[in-house]
Amino acid sequence: VKAATVAAETGTRLAEAQHLNATLHWSQELLDAEAARVDRMAAPGPLAALPVALKDNIVTVEQPTTCGSRILEGYLSPYNATVVERLRAAGAMIAAKTNLDEFAMGSSTEHSAFGRVKHPLDPARVPGGSSGGSAALVAAGVVPAALGSETGGSVRQPASFCGVVGVKPSYGRVSRYGLVAFGSSLDCVSVFGRTVDDAGRVLSAISGPDPLDATTVDRAPMRVPKALPDLRGLTVGLPTEYFPADLDAGVAAALRRTTEQIRELGGEVRQVSLPNSAYAVPTYYIIAPAEAAANLARYDGVRYGNRRVGPDGDIRALYRTTRGEGFGEEVRRRILVGTYVLSAGYYDAYYKKAQQVRALIAEDFRRVFDSGCDLLLTPTTPTPAFKAGEKTEDPVAMYLADVFVCSMSLAGLPAMSLPVGRSEGLPVGAQLVAPHFGEERLLAAAQVLERTMDPLAEVR
Amino acid sequence: MGERMNIGLDEVLHVAKLAELAVKESEMRRLVDQMNRIVNYVATLDEVPGDRIAEPFLAGPQSVMLREDVPATVPLVRPPSAIAPEFAQGFFLVPRHGAMEDQ
Repeated sequence: VKAATVAAETGTRLAEAQHLNATLHWSQELLDAEAARVDRMAAPGPLAALPVALKDNIVTVEQPTTCGSRILEGYLSPYNATVVERLRAAGAMIAAKTNLDEFAMGSSTEHSAFGRVKHPLDPARVPGGSSGGSAALVAAGVVPAALGSETGGSVRQPASFCGVVGVKPSYGRVSRYGLVAFGSSLDCVSVFGRTVDDAGRVLSAISGPDPLDATTVDRAPMRVPKALPDLRGLTVGLPTEYFPADLDAGVAAALRRTTEQIRELGGEVRQVSLPNSAYAVPTYYIIAPAEAAANLARYDGVRYGNRRVGPDGDIRALYRTTRGEGFGEEVRRRILVGTYVLSAGYYDAYYKKAQQVRALIAEDFRRVFDSGCDLLLTPTTPTPAFKAGEKTEDPVAMYLADVFVCSMSLAGLPAMSLPVGRSEGLPVGAQLVAPHFGEERLLAAAQVLERTMDPLAEVR
Repeated sequence: MGERMNIGLDEVLHVAKLAELAVKESEMRRLVDQMNRIVNYVATLDEVPGDRIAEPFLAGPQSVMLREDVPATVPLVRPPSAIAPEFAQGFFLVPRHGAMEDQ
């Protein structure tokens, strides 16, 4: 199939999906230019003519990068992110930039300065977040794969809500060069796919060391895993703390079904404990805002950000007015919380303690994997997709939407969400977690489950 | 953390000043309430006993070792003048600092 044909079809689907508000920038002209570039390639590579959407916090030369924020409205990067260069080298076409919670801060994609993203199956509901635009486009069948970013579950959670595959790699597996920084010790470029194979092929193409990102690990890019016939020889741990008594009945049923399927496929399932995961959300909501407060200091109207001169006309007024008017409510709140926990007198009590608890959370995972577990299985989210507006008044209620996903981000582990059923018509995801750099095992096991489970089956 | 849980208006204003962030008067009450809600919530880390505290965490696996920071030139398709709010003769232009006005 010629890339030009794929580009034309993708453009039609993007136009038809405008009601989702999932895209911030795309044009048929740029899609056609991408197709022409691919059709000229002598050896187009493993992603030949694959249209891939990018979360709008991944910088691109040809399209604006806004991070869903007024402060960066119209910003054009002077360089492409490494993941963009790698996608294009593999033959992929950049199809669109997708809507997101402002600066990737949110769990519902309601905190975008450019309006909320609608769930493809129920417009009254949220697609999850912060990478909700990318998730919605894949779920709606507009593109087969998309990039998002994870700081604390921002790909796995929307993947679960939308019924698609979402993979967060190990910290250090994929270059963050050109990913707009939010929480630098947590941020990972991550992948959505229609199928495990789509996500795996994209992840393979973008992984590997990058001299432009000193936190990438010096090891070979991930290989696309070979298909396994079953799960014999695999031990899967079920962490007790991730199956609370008040877990949504549909989610619990979907996870029971997944557990039974693992056993039927020859896998061993055992109970394990990750006791410090109970502290993952408060730990995350100290560390991530603290790092965000530092990273977002650059948006001051001088280095970055649309300048707004304050009433006094001096530089301090410029900083404060630019930031006060340019950032939305959730970003302002996180900057204030981050500044507070880093301020004199509070640093040890909050930030230092959170870093120490983070070490305990990571140690729990290490202990469980060292005890013989190959993978862990948990729900991705405590409930299916919730309604728009349901949690916007209570920031802590919104943060708890990430209760099962942020511990893996804190530990830097690879993890993914796989659609495993539906509850009252809404998708439910199961989360698989692997040790550091265990992506191939993770994806291989997920492929077996994908092949043998019906993600559209009602589970209640 | 327990004694520091009630954040008042003055403290939010102080933090906003540190963060170089203008906050509207009309938003203050809501912001104070939400800051208190968040800070009280994250204070649940107090439940983790001190004797269980490990060394501070290093992001990623042990194999993530920072390399020497060697500056490299990155090719840019747009010069600083194209992305700066104000730029002239090789300099980024900013308003005067208030403290310099009297000099």
